[in-house]
Amino acid sequence: MKYFTDSIAFSYSQIFFCNRRWFGYLALISTFVIPEMGALGLLGVIISNSLALYLKFDKEKIRDGFYGFNGILFGAAASYYFQLTPFVVLLVIVFLVITFFIAAALENYMYTSFNLPGLSLPFIITLYIFFIFITNFNIIYYKELKFIDYPFTAQLPEIIKHYLKSFSLILFQSSIITGIILVTGVLVFSRVMLINSILAFIINYIFVHLLFPNPSESLIILTSFNTILTSFALGGSLIILSKKTSILMILSSIMIIVFTGFFIRLLSNYFLPVLVLPFNVVVLATIYSLKFRQDFSELVLLYFKPGSPEENFYYHQNRKSRFGNFKAMLPELPFFGQWKVSQAHNGSITHKDKWSYAWDFIIEDENNNQYSNLGDKVEDYYCYNVPVNSPLDGTVAKIIDNVPDNNINEPNIKQNWGNTVIIDHGQGLYSSLSHLKPGSITVNENQIIKKGDVVARCGNSGRSPVPHLHFQFQLSDKLGDKTYKYPIAYYLQTKDDKLLLKTFEFPEQDNKVRNIELHSALKNAFDFKLGSELSFDCKLNDKKFIEHWEVKVDILNNLYIESDNNAKIFLYPSKKIFYITNFLGNSKSALYYFYLNAIKIPLGYNKNLKWEEKYPVSTISKNPVRYLSEFFLIFKPFITAESAFNFKIKDTNEEDISIECSFKVRGEGLFSFYSQSAKGEMVIDKNAFIKSISFTDEKNIFFANNKLSMEEK
Amino acid sequence: MTKKQYERPIITKQQSGFMNKFGAATVTLPKTEIDGISVKELVENFGSPLFVISERTLREKQRNALRIFKTRYPKVQFAWSYKTNYLNAVCSVFHQEGSWAEVVSEFEYDKAKKLGVSGKHIFYNGPHKSNESLTKAINDGAKIHIDHFDELYQLIELTEKFGKKANVAIRVNMDVGIFPKWDRFGFNFENGEAAQALKRIIVSDSLVLTGLHMHIGTYMMSTEAYRIGVNKLVSLANELYKNNGIILDYIDIGGGFPSNNTLKGQYLPAEQILPSIEQFADAITSELFSLKYDKKDLPTLVLETGRALVDDAGSLISTVLATKRLSDGKRALIFDAGVNILFTSFWYKHLISPGQKTGAFTEDAKVFGPLCMNIDCINENMTLPSLKKNDLVVIQRVGAYNMTQWMQFITTRPNVVMIMENGSVELIRQAEDLEYIMMKERLPEKLRLTAKK
Repeated sequence: MKYFTDSIAFSYSQIFFCNRRWFGYLALISTFVIPEMGALGLLGVIISNSLALYLKFDKEKIRDGFYGFNGILFGAAASYYFQLTPFVVLLVIVFLVITFFIAAALENYMYTSFNLPGLSLPFIITLYIFFIFITNFNIIYYKELKFIDYPFTAQLPEIIKHYLKSFSLILFQSSIITGIILVTGVLVFSRVMLINSILAFIINYIFVHLLFPNPSESLIILTSFNTILTSFALGGSLIILSKKTSILMILSSIMIIVFTGFFIRLLSNYFLPVLVLPFNVVVLATIYSLKFRQDFSELVLLYFKPGSPEENFYYHQNRKSRFGNFKAMLPELPFFGQWKVSQAHNGSITHKDKWSYAWDFIIEDENNNQYSNLGDKVEDYYCYNVPVNSPLDGTVAKIIDNVPDNNINEPNIKQNWGNTVIIDHGQGLYSSLSHLKPGSITVNENQIIKKGDVVARCGNSGRSPVPHLHFQFQLSDKLGDKTYKYPIAYYLQTKDDKLLLKTFEFPEQDNKVRNIELHSALKNAFDFKLGSELSFDCKLNDKKFIEHWEVKVDILNNLYIESDNNAKIFLYPSKKIFYITNFLGNSKSALYYFYLNAIKIPLGYNKNLKWEEKYPVSTISKNPVRYLSEFFLIFKPFITAESAFNFKIKDTNEEDISIECSFKVRGEGLFSFYSQSAKGEMVIDKNAFIKSISFTDEKNIFFANNKLSMEEK
Repeated sequence: MTKKQYERPIITKQQSGFMNKFGAATVTLPKTEIDGISVKELVENFGSPLFVISERTLREKQRNALRIFKTRYPKVQFAWSYKTNYLNAVCSVFHQEGSWAEVVSEFEYDKAKKLGVSGKHIFYNGPHKSNESLTKAINDGAKIHIDHFDELYQLIELTEKFGKKANVAIRVNMDVGIFPKWDRFGFNFENGEAAQALKRIIVSDSLVLTGLHMHIGTYMMSTEAYRIGVNKLVSLANELYKNNGIILDYIDIGGGFPSNNTLKGQYLPAEQILPSIEQFADAITSELFSLKYDKKDLPTLVLETGRALVDDAGSLISTVLATKRLSDGKRALIFDAGVNILFTSFWYKHLISPGQKTGAFTEDAKVFGPLCMNIDCINENMTLPSLKKNDLVVIQRVGAYNMTQWMQFITTRPNVVMIMENGSVELIRQAEDLEYIMMKERLPEKLRLTAKK
């Protein structure tokens, strides 16, 4: 039963690109201002969803209102245009079935052929069929189109009434109260959508008056409700909100007016209403055309399960900042221990033009010397004869092993690259290690090697005045080919006394860098295997509860942990870093505090290691300041949430590893008065499991103890 | 104008004929300061003789060694060899640099624990381990390196008695082509004893095999010996992996790297003939890569290097007590530091430098300590500039073994100071006095000369 009512509620909220149950109920109630209209809409969704269930369509999609919303629109529209006689109601029921089939077919066709949503096209098509079909009868009476006005709304300025009426018309309601309820709902759901709808309405109002000499009220309402829907779709629901989306909204508003004018003329011959046709055409055309760009970095089309425009924005922004440089292959540095970048990308000596994206590495001691003794022999240099290894799994594509080492400061400019190993990593990516010691190459061409396998030793062959390692990615096995910019997946950088964690970055000039050394307890504690379960004894303020986690995987192979109190985190486990990519659901759960404490964890222990990570604001802060700031989200995000992390050895039981998290939510600019901080700590037991999670902010004190550690005692 | 220094006249026999094939005469440069602190000032403040340890040199040596190994192998762990120098301050410097502890007795074990080293970070070596100390080590999760079968049975008995598990490794001795063979420690590789011991450990429920250990000798002058040794350990590890699926946590190759001190039997100075640490590291790590493990499972390479890290950081300042001429006409010098506190003079031709500016002329001399014992001779024959009573000398590279093997004989042991990185001088071991020596003595009442008041 819950499932079915949910499917009804979500069908209603779908119409507004919304995924909230409460919004669906609110919209449902708003339609019952005029009971018969509400009833027919409800009938529409009940028939659609029952049919879908009966025919065994995807249960998840039914619940999300995927099939129901076209039914609602058809039912509501029918009661909007026609006098309801038993015969008409009967016909409506028949057509609801037709609507469902058309919707199911069209959604699938649009998705597989164009990778586009069906929007409300199924409803429009069926309604046109209905309109034309009933001309066979002469017993059906069109209603006189009229908005119901009330004494208390009579005072409102005409323009506001137009705005409210446009909202009512989205659900084919003729009461202005429906509009008021819906606007209030949108305000609570998304400030961005409300601002968008107001902007869209105003822009439309101006353009309608510019393009048409004397626009009628119905034209204004028709165009503005199409524009408002378009602003929802393009201004944050199907495209991620940015400054450019507002320009897109202005352009689409003009298009809506043009298309409305066009469709009025075209359809009047058949006595058909224009309805939401302009919205469908403009949105589909815009989104489809955007798919053929060369650069997708701006006006990003939604690529994940949609939420409110705010949630979409925060999620995308967070993903961009965390995984912006993410690549499918995860190379590491091709050596052991700490080396220094003596020439980085776009270096001043030789890393120019075609060879911009290469690195040169050397070894230095504590006092920044790269050699002992006089430095006049290659053997004096710390990096000379030190093994170098493969940055990724691959096949040895080419080796050159017979160029002699140079004397110091006598580079060999005839054989620029010296002794070189070129490795094919698959998918078109190659890496090349040069200036190696002659005779030191320990692999053969076509040999399959693993990441970290020693391939040769650092030398001074080729154009190399002093011993160093030249390392580059390229797209062929050609010696000295053009370099290709590809990030190192994870490494540590020493800076003063601190050690920084770098992910998907490019070591820069003079950086001292090294690979992460795995720590077995950390690695195993964060190795969440499919199907494994965890239980925690939790205490949130005074409330005690037991929470149970289970590791699951979804159809897209996303690994996630679900708690029994309705929270979910999505994981991205890589070999050396543990990531939580997103949090959904109940924030009064241990899983939520685990998410805050463990959004990014390197699986290597280093006393001085420090790192930071940002959270999507929507998963963190639920307070008035954030909601207020979202009225201005179109300019920029004013609230950020991030944590600084470090390791700490516990005094009492030094074998356990503690990870401390200093958490901060901050406002910028207008909202700089706002700041909130908290402290978290997570203890990893020496026997490789998460022992406890704690988190303290201004309002809450949370502590969770793994039941496993209780059993140990 | 400063006053010219007085130089005692020296009579040198003139030799006609060809020039000495080694060229010019020996020049001994004076060492007037250690890490920027004047030797004279040190003696004024802390007396003579005086051991001086340089914190900077300790850290530099350790970091250098760590860098050399870490750039050649992904997982490296140093363990400070307590027996080489277990002064608290010295051990703590190494622990701060990330080293664990390698101990060979219950005393050293307790000392490491007291300094704050966690049991898990202690390698417990040696042929003598009491029941009490093994019980401690089992409870602390220390890594126990078994030396012989009796100890293996002792451990099985103890772990079963307490129902605990012990982390163990065996020490393996093998023929690495050098003499002497250190086959008195551990289980022999060639005769199959090591494999036998491993089998016994594997079938035991209470012993967890975590590693393999070797220690082929001390002051090793050949990298080849290490290569052979590691090769043999790796072959054992490969067998364990193939037959039993055991992946070892670590391979401990012990210590034995030489310092820059020249042995008594060596003709050329140590710097010129000894392999560098890089060469040792290349020999060891290249063999380790022949382990048939997955890359991510490679065992940690454990090094128990002592001498090579600490020797250069220690100096002994001594005062000339007297000069005299021996019956054969040879010059003799008597220092206030003898073999009682400079045990290593039995092995090394120590580098001894004057502690103040001297003249250019040198003289062959025999150097004695202050003990009333004929064996108290630091060097039979060495070339030194002319020294007189109360002059200071700095005996260099004495950081290893002297501060653990020194004797309390005839006299008490002197102060030990550490020159810190910031230039301050800290007393890290106070000179002993009569009270300290007598503290543990008990005089039976009837032997007392004066009646108790």
